[in-house]
Amino acid sequence: MDERQNMPSERRAESDAVERLLRETEAVRSEIREAAASVDWEALPGLIADRAMAADRERRRAETAPRRVAWLSALLMRPVLAGLAAGLVVGAAVMYFALRAPGDRAGRDEAYHASGEFLDRAELEMARRNAVDYLEKSQYVLLDVFESPEEGPGVAAAVRSERARSLLQKKQYLNSQLERFQMAKAKAICDQIEMLFRELAQLEGDLPAAELGRIRDYVEERQLLLKINLVKKELQSGV
Amino acid sequence: MSEVSAEREAGAAEIDRLLERVKEGDREAFVTITKLYQRKVFVLAYSILRDREDALDAVQETFLRLHQKAGLYRPGRPFQGWLLQMAKNISIDHYRKHRKKKQEWETAKPLDEIPLAAEPSREGDSAATDLRQAFARSVEALAERQKMVFVMRHYSELQFNEISEAMKISIGTAKSLHFKAVQNLRKRLAPVLGIEP
Repeated sequence: MDERQNMPSERRAESDAVERLLRETEAVRSEIREAAASVDWEALPGLIADRAMAADRERRRAETAPRRVAWLSALLMRPVLAGLAAGLVVGAAVMYFALRAPGDRAGRDEAYHASGEFLDRAELEMARRNAVDYLEKSQYVLLDVFESPEEGPGVAAAVRSERARSLLQKKQYLNSQLERFQMAKAKAICDQIEMLFRELAQLEGDLPAAELGRIRDYVEERQLLLKINLVKKELQSGV
Repeated sequence: MSEVSAEREAGAAEIDRLLERVKEGDREAFVTITKLYQRKVFVLAYSILRDREDALDAVQETFLRLHQKAGLYRPGRPFQGWLLQMAKNISIDHYRKHRKKKQEWETAKPLDEIPLAAEPSREGDSAATDLRQAFARSVEALAERQKMVFVMRHYSELQFNEISEAMKISIGTAKSLHFKAVQNLRKRLAPVLGIEP
């Protein structure tokens, strides 16, 4: 205090200003304390651990599945592969002899040619349709979560997680299209839905009421159904 | 060796053991580590994102990444710094992505579909609100590293040695960035604070 009083007035004003400035950070700290107080710190580690373990299992399954499939198919599909290879060789030979025959062929210069731009447009349109289709199907699954009774009957839950799994597979295919055509908004909403589906897909049996409530809250808080509708409309109108 | 550093070292050895168990797929060890650090990660994520849900997303993402990358941790390295560095990077990514997304949403949506998040301010609070808003804008406008150090120091209440570990810079650099941040804020806010720029 004495030290402050001994300061020249200019320095004291400066020091007061910095103090006032730093006092503003207290408002943010209390905001953080308030937000932290509303978190269930006891339950959170368990939830995260469940997700981590599930992601781990998923990763391991993804790592081993293609190897198993490749090994099996190499064993089982050998005659089919041989047939396919023979077909390709014969087809290529026939095409070679047909095309190298001398003389003009009717319509040779009139072959259908699509420009790169046209193909890009067509692919963009396909990507849009796929995204709309994905969003529509996701909407049904989410509505199903909303309409299902609190106790979550086993059969309905199993169907729901099966549908979620199939949509997750579809999303993997959709990702590259959304990224290629920079459909950022559609990608963002699809990513949020994907996160929910990952949780739904993990729940094989009955969906506990608390879990169901959490998913509903998430959908409501983020206004997912409304956002899905908006993005769908935009995609359909080709914006 | 001082008591504090001995305690830190004992704590570090315990964390190393827990991480070894996490690598072997021990769920309980992972839960223990999450319990130990979840609040610190939340506070840092919230300081950057200023949104409870986004901060919780960042907390989950940070620990999921920790679980995935536990094998990359080198024993003896400051664990908290490593974890907070991950949390900081995830939060910044989240912030950039969401800021862009929010802007996109708000520009693409018709006016009546944009949620009205802004609350009307009360008359008496206007001066304080002005300073608060100007302060928030000025922090936002700081250079990235200055902002990060300021936020970690004053919002997350981290010590300079913790900041230096989380940002992979020296303590001296952390202090210097903090000094510059305060000077820049003071300069920007001079008119609101009623002082000479």
